[in-house]
Amino acid sequence: MDYSKFVDAVLNNDESMITEQVKVITAVLIKFLTVRMNASFEDAQDCAQNTLLIALEKIRNDDLTHPDALINYLFTTSKHEYFKVLSKDREVNYEELPEHHSANADQLHRLVNKEKMSLLKRCMEALKSDYRKYIEFWFQNPGYETSVVADHFGISVNNAWTKKHRIINVLKECIEKKFQK
Amino acid sequence: MKDSREKDIRRKIDAYIKGSLGEEEIQGLWNEFAKDPELLDLLELEVNLKEIIERESGTAGSEDVAPIRKLPKWTWHAAAAAAIILVALVQFFRVDSPATLDQLVVQNIEPSQIETSNAVRAAKDMRITSADSLLNLGFQAFLSGNDDRALDLYEEVIANYNEEPYGSKAYLNKGIIHYNEFEFQTAIHSFEQALERVEDSRMITEKAYWYLGNALVNIGELEEARVAVTKTYQLDGVFRSPAFRLLKKLNQELGYSDYEEVDQVD
Repeated sequence: MDYSKFVDAVLNNDESMITEQVKVITAVLIKFLTVRMNASFEDAQDCAQNTLLIALEKIRNDDLTHPDALINYLFTTSKHEYFKVLSKDREVNYEELPEHHSANADQLHRLVNKEKMSLLKRCMEALKSDYRKYIEFWFQNPGYETSVVADHFGISVNNAWTKKHRIINVLKECIEKKFQK
Repeated sequence: MKDSREKDIRRKIDAYIKGSLGEEEIQGLWNEFAKDPELLDLLELEVNLKEIIERESGTAGSEDVAPIRKLPKWTWHAAAAAAIILVALVQFFRVDSPATLDQLVVQNIEPSQIETSNAVRAAKDMRITSADSLLNLGFQAFLSGNDDRALDLYEEVIANYNEEPYGSKAYLNKGIIHYNEFEFQTAIHSFEQALERVEDSRMITEKAYWYLGNALVNIGELEEARVAVTKTYQLDGVFRSPAFRLLKKLNQELGYSDYEEVDQVD
């Protein structure tokens, strides 16, 4: 996602490009709000939409052009929008943002999705047995350093990472195939 | 470089899932997700994968981390002695250690495998066409770590100079880049396209079959991989030895005990 292209599209009123990119950014913001802020999907959707409307205005007024600044602005504004939802009648202190609501690892549990899990399960069943054993060991022992995993399987640390990435890629491709069917 | 940056992000995703990233690092990671939403798909995949594995092993929701127990000191001396004896025995009997399929598969394709214009490889032929220049620019972009630019240039070759040897070279190079980015399905498509187009180039044919076979192993299509690796072996070129080793392993994995076909060519 090239944010400088997004800025150009807004400044040039390239509607089709704006629609395409807004769709991508909205999806990221919704996940950000649900995972990091524990927002419900509906609240996250509203806040993401408001955030983009505000950001589009800022870009049109030439107040926001740098891609990195734009990304930070989108996340910060979406958080503010969510706090507004939380305290509809109260005035929100925008200077001090409350901390997130749960431990970092727990937040991610909100990404668990039954449909994706069922597809993933089928893909796992199709994995080569050594790949399956490897990835099971990896996730069953989250406290292990990669060097411990590497030692366990008699490979180098670099190869341990490569193997993990490779298995994830195989699963990703398998899921994409199943989605297409 | 794009590759090392992606590796770094993927390691951070792993750390995020394991709960070992600080607040600033997490926000940094989300900024990366905003730039490349496909990374967010990877995070989701890993979270769901972890959940499945934890549920299957009955540890879901548990915060317990398996402890690493330290062994008493004498065990290390005993282990060292056993290792020395084992090494001596292996040397004595010259036992071949069985390699796994993963160890036999190409991990990363070297830049030297990228096809450029013939003039670069053989200085006597100095006639350089526009397609040659694009191939060379692609090679340069690849060496600078600019894979996207290299892919664009190869696409340009395919779109505008889809004649031999340019089409097969461009597809082969695309396949190599995708392979190194672990995009095996796309790599397979490119190697197949290279094979469809190639005319009178033993080297391109051999490379395309060899890397096609490796990519197929990576996605677990072992039967198809066996066909491609057999072709590589039969071409009797620079990949003959690694192709033979991989083929033996594939036969073993697939339960083929008859090596007659291979031996005849050997």
